[in-house]
Amino acid sequence: MVDLQSPLGVTFIPGDHGNAAGGVGITLHERTNISLIQVTAWNNTIPTVLTAIGSATGVIVQNKPGHGRVAGEKSVFGFAPGRFMVTGATPDLEQRLRAAISTDLGTIVALTHGRTVIRISGSRVEWVLAKLFALDFSEHAFPVGTGRATLHHDIHTLIQRIDENSFDLYVFRSFARSFWLTLGHAAEEVGYRVE
Amino acid sequence: MTSSRLPNGGQIERAKSVGFTFDGRAYSGHPGDTLASALLANGVTLFGRSFKYHRPRGLLAAGSDEPNALVTIISGDVREPNVRATELEIFDGLAVQSQNRFPSLEHDLMAVNQLAGSLLSAGFYYKTFMGPAIGPLKSTRFWMFCERFIRRAAGLGKAGIAADPDRYERMNAFCDVLVVGSGPAGLIAAEAAAATGARVIIAEERPVAGGSLLASGEIIDGRNPAVWAREKAEALANLPNVRFLTRTSVWGYYDGNVLTAVQRVSDHKPNRTKGQPRQRHWVIRAGKTILATGAFERPIVFPGNDCPGVMLADAVRRFAVEYGVAAGKNVAFFTNNDSAYDAARTLSLAGIAVTTIVDVRPDVSGACRDIANILGAELLLGSAVTGTHAGKSLSAITVQHFNMTTGRISGAPREIKTDCLGVSGGWSPVIHLASQAGGKPEWDEDLQAFLAPEPNQNWVVTGSAAGYMDTISVLSDAATKGSAKSRLVLPSVEAPMLDSSPAPVFEIEPAGKSQKAFVDFQHDVTASDIRLAYREGFHSVEHLKRYTTLGMATDQGKTSNVPGLAIMADIRGISIPDAGTTRFRAPFTPVSMGAIAGERYGDLRPHRLTPMHDWHISNGAKTYEAGLWHRPMIYGSHGETIEQAYTREARAVREGVGIVDVSTLGKIDIQGPDAAEFLDRVYTNMFSTLPVGKARYGLMLREDGIVFDDGTTWRLGETQFLMTTTTANAGPVMQHLEYYLDCVWPELRVHLTSVTDVWAGAAISGPKSRSVLETCVTGTKVDNTALPFMGIVYGRIADIPVMICRLSFSGELAYEVYSGAGHGTRIWEALIAAGKQFDIVPYGLEALGTLRIEKGHVTGAEIDGRTTAHDLHLGWMLSKKKTYIGSAMINRPGLKDEHRLSLVGLISLDNQSINGGSHIVSDKTPREPADSFGHVTAACYSPALGKYIALALVKHGTSMIGKRAFATDLLRDKHGAVEIVSHHMFDKDGSRMHG
Amino acid sequence: MIIKCPYCGPRDVIEFTYQGDATRKRPDPSSTDQNLWNAYIYDRSNPAKSHREFWLHTGGCRQHLVVTRDMSTHSISSVGFARDSKHAGDQ
Repeated sequence: MVDLQSPLGVTFIPGDHGNAAGGVGITLHERTNISLIQVTAWNNTIPTVLTAIGSATGVIVQNKPGHGRVAGEKSVFGFAPGRFMVTGATPDLEQRLRAAISTDLGTIVALTHGRTVIRISGSRVEWVLAKLFALDFSEHAFPVGTGRATLHHDIHTLIQRIDENSFDLYVFRSFARSFWLTLGHAAEEVGYRVE
Repeated sequence: MTSSRLPNGGQIERAKSVGFTFDGRAYSGHPGDTLASALLANGVTLFGRSFKYHRPRGLLAAGSDEPNALVTIISGDVREPNVRATELEIFDGLAVQSQNRFPSLEHDLMAVNQLAGSLLSAGFYYKTFMGPAIGPLKSTRFWMFCERFIRRAAGLGKAGIAADPDRYERMNAFCDVLVVGSGPAGLIAAEAAAATGARVIIAEERPVAGGSLLASGEIIDGRNPAVWAREKAEALANLPNVRFLTRTSVWGYYDGNVLTAVQRVSDHKPNRTKGQPRQRHWVIRAGKTILATGAFERPIVFPGNDCPGVMLADAVRRFAVEYGVAAGKNVAFFTNNDSAYDAARTLSLAGIAVTTIVDVRPDVSGACRDIANILGAELLLGSAVTGTHAGKSLSAITVQHFNMTTGRISGAPREIKTDCLGVSGGWSPVIHLASQAGGKPEWDEDLQAFLAPEPNQNWVVTGSAAGYMDTISVLSDAATKGSAKSRLVLPSVEAPMLDSSPAPVFEIEPAGKSQKAFVDFQHDVTASDIRLAYREGFHSVEHLKRYTTLGMATDQGKTSNVPGLAIMADIRGISIPDAGTTRFRAPFTPVSMGAIAGERYGDLRPHRLTPMHDWHISNGAKTYEAGLWHRPMIYGSHGETIEQAYTREARAVREGVGIVDVSTLGKIDIQGPDAAEFLDRVYTNMFSTLPVGKARYGLMLREDGIVFDDGTTWRLGETQFLMTTTTANAGPVMQHLEYYLDCVWPELRVHLTSVTDVWAGAAISGPKSRSVLETCVTGTKVDNTALPFMGIVYGRIADIPVMICRLSFSGELAYEVYSGAGHGTRIWEALIAAGKQFDIVPYGLEALGTLRIEKGHVTGAEIDGRTTAHDLHLGWMLSKKKTYIGSAMINRPGLKDEHRLSLVGLISLDNQSINGGSHIVSDKTPREPADSFGHVTAACYSPALGKYIALALVKHGTSMIGKRAFATDLLRDKHGAVEIVSHHMFDKDGSRMHG
Repeated sequence: MIIKCPYCGPRDVIEFTYQGDATRKRPDPSSTDQNLWNAYIYDRSNPAKSHREFWLHTGGCRQHLVVTRDMSTHSISSVGFARDSKHAGDQ
């Protein structure tokens, strides 16, 4: 399988940027070679679908709004009633999920090509994200593993907290470059590194 | 000019100096100075010219309530007008200009307006707008005539025209408790709230915490109150659950306890660090808001009260204590309450002589008398200031006997020499935010002021904003408001026993002719303007406000609302609360547009790019913005005009093969056992009968029977469809579908997902398009049997999986090749390479539009929210076998009316281009107004026909075919003869695309 | 204004799209009663009191919500999923 072309193009410039003389406040990184599969359960099949996701991925999440879990490259989180984003580095992720979830249980949409995942991490991550999103990023309001659907500049985005100082941002591919520039702009103040 | 800087005192860094210019002249001050304090220290008393009369004006206040001293900051070509000198922190290199004067502040020619004073009185604009009823300047023509003179003469600072180069940012914040203000009340309330573990944000509009404590002559916990405040603020800021924002004005209070604030991050710095914004706009969602916003002192209205040197008593004190500047050498006070005595006492502690205290009250407390005695100041009770004497600034005041009960002036005027008069007319709690939040202020008789209403959101008001005027009760109120369970040990306070409740005296009005007495300094509204408004019938406070413009300047009447209201109440013989009050609106203080816009402009506006965008750019595409998308318009080669380029591209499609990026089409994944049933209800035509592996053109109506959107939908599986929508309607269609699934048919088991960005789409069109595919596609045949019209096949190009559907928008044999977006460019390049031997040409939106106009295919220009399926000749798509959204309404008489506009083609008869938006008329020559019977929706040059053509919506469309008319565009001066033809202008039977 | 989405929690109003009156009921699709359809499509009341409205959480979970809101104070008394109210228009 050939690598996917990044939507960031010439705007992806590895190295330190902005006010980085005294160290960088955050690091930006585009996650590649991962599969992004959306699973949606019917109203009455959510627990069964969560079990099926668990058996296909080994990641078990609860049927609670926004609940999610991260296990290395794998992660699962809910972002709407009965709707989950399943991410993993194994190429057969979609097949495994399709095998476990029939139309009677729910539906599957592969979004690998349609969403770009940017990992943002560092000590100033909450500060920088607060410039773009009207969400409370404090850890008690947004615990590790959980996911949120929200807007940046009127555009839909999914966010999962990976650890205390890291988040994955799922943005529409067509907006990814524009978002990347905005993110870099917002991070200039604290200095940032692109990896 | 002599220096007015006191030998010691003030919270400025005396060891350092800061250089700045005012009207081109160099001055110096110290870090910690505002422009106002630094200029005052340099002996400058004249700060600006007034709005209408160009009267010389000095400082009235020392903070955000200052109405007079508005200045313009100059930075290269960029000007920021109407900045309050009392809030502007000086820094090295700051350049400032005074406003509303010509040619200079000292010699202002426009001061002649003072002579025309009676012409510019209340209602001037309304009277002028109306103009004489007859004659050459009747009606608004008189206004038009006067406007250019008035605009130049009256006004505030001029906005610049250079683009604002500064950086602004938005910031979102969440907290349990937001404390607005960090005076004694704010600090203690925040401390009490923070002690409960709550997340607290404290917003202070000034550079340092302390509020009234910064200029207080009291002693707190045995210490200087400014020092006490600084230490308290530092301790709070160090708590992990507290965020302390200085230089941050909370300016708006919205529903749901959402407050907006502007933080002046680097306005006070000569240089910014990389990425540092000038200002940061905060949107704060607070669980609870504590309004510790303090109180504004208000002036007493008396003749000559706008003379430079007449200031608020508290401002005189603040300049002395906070900045070490003497506003005068021999200061007099004029008051209706005790607080001026405390100001006098504090001033004296700072080493400034207080000569006289004029008090309207016939008697005062022992504490007040003691203060006057100790200061050696003459105490004039039952007296009032009835006039001022000034050259460039105050030299003397006139004092007469005053009867508080009758308001009458009596006795011989006595002239008292003084260079500074501190006035106190009582205090107005700062309730702007509470008022914005929705409540109607309540009048407090003791304070003679409005207090915040009962909360309608989760807020509390504390400190002087809540009407507590002495520090001890402020502190204990704040502790309770901060947390009901507060166990804070409050500091001790040493202060004289004074009472800030004023006598109800707002205006001194001598019987005869006197100097102008100003109520609203910023808008030049006098007491006599209010009387004039009354005489002319404008009694209600809302009318008064609009007729006189009282309180409508940039300061929103911070110092003038209550006096203005009191004067109107007095004229009408009613109480002040009966006269009413107006609601405060956001913003509390002016906010720069840049701060509100944040980073949402220029290159940082969100935009969408297709997977092949970089290829387009590097291959000469000129793009334009279609909604948020950047799409190729043409691929211009050297020296081509736009028309030449799209003509070449469109011709290549008709004669050979072309390729266009269609990735922007809206795409919705529709899955579930009821997906087919759902589509039957949504589309006017049938989809449940569509076989797997086939696509169908579908039409959607709105519930009212008007056409909503069109597109093809592909059946990928028994329970899975891929719907395409027009690019512009992708979002609305998604919402439309979601609405019906959630709100109308929740029983249908269907899931929707936007997959627009998942797929890259390339349409290849033209007689040679099949040959191109045959050259590069593996894994499937693409001949007419394997891939018939509207068929779908799966194969590979460059070993990458693709989905190919045989669709045509151009009217030629054509295919849409879909691949994962991450492979889009590779597939596109492979198609270009395969097409090389067939001279494949990439084409842009202009050629795409040309091809569809030739074919009479509709897009958003025709699906304009007014047209029906019949209007667009799509009536054949309306199924009679089922109901669908809109089916109940399509036969309404209005939608069947024979006079409706319907779609036709136009061919230019004079070989001239036709403008989009032209009206269709029968007049041979342009006429205004013309009787329009239609309009052009899209126009182009048609290479296939060799003519300029257009699509139009025309009354009685079909029966007009063959007739001659004129397309007229009066705005762009174009008028030409056209023939009305069928909208199918090219290949009417569609043989080309079926071939 | 803040709307408390039952899935996403409290969010700014900017994340939501107003989708109209939630008290009207769509006529039976086969009905040809023009007055009934007319009322459904065009007639709206604007009461200065509590009112039920559809809001789509466009910038979040993309669910339609039924929001009961006082039109004169903007205070919201209840929010629920439109799907959960069986016939959203009936209640």
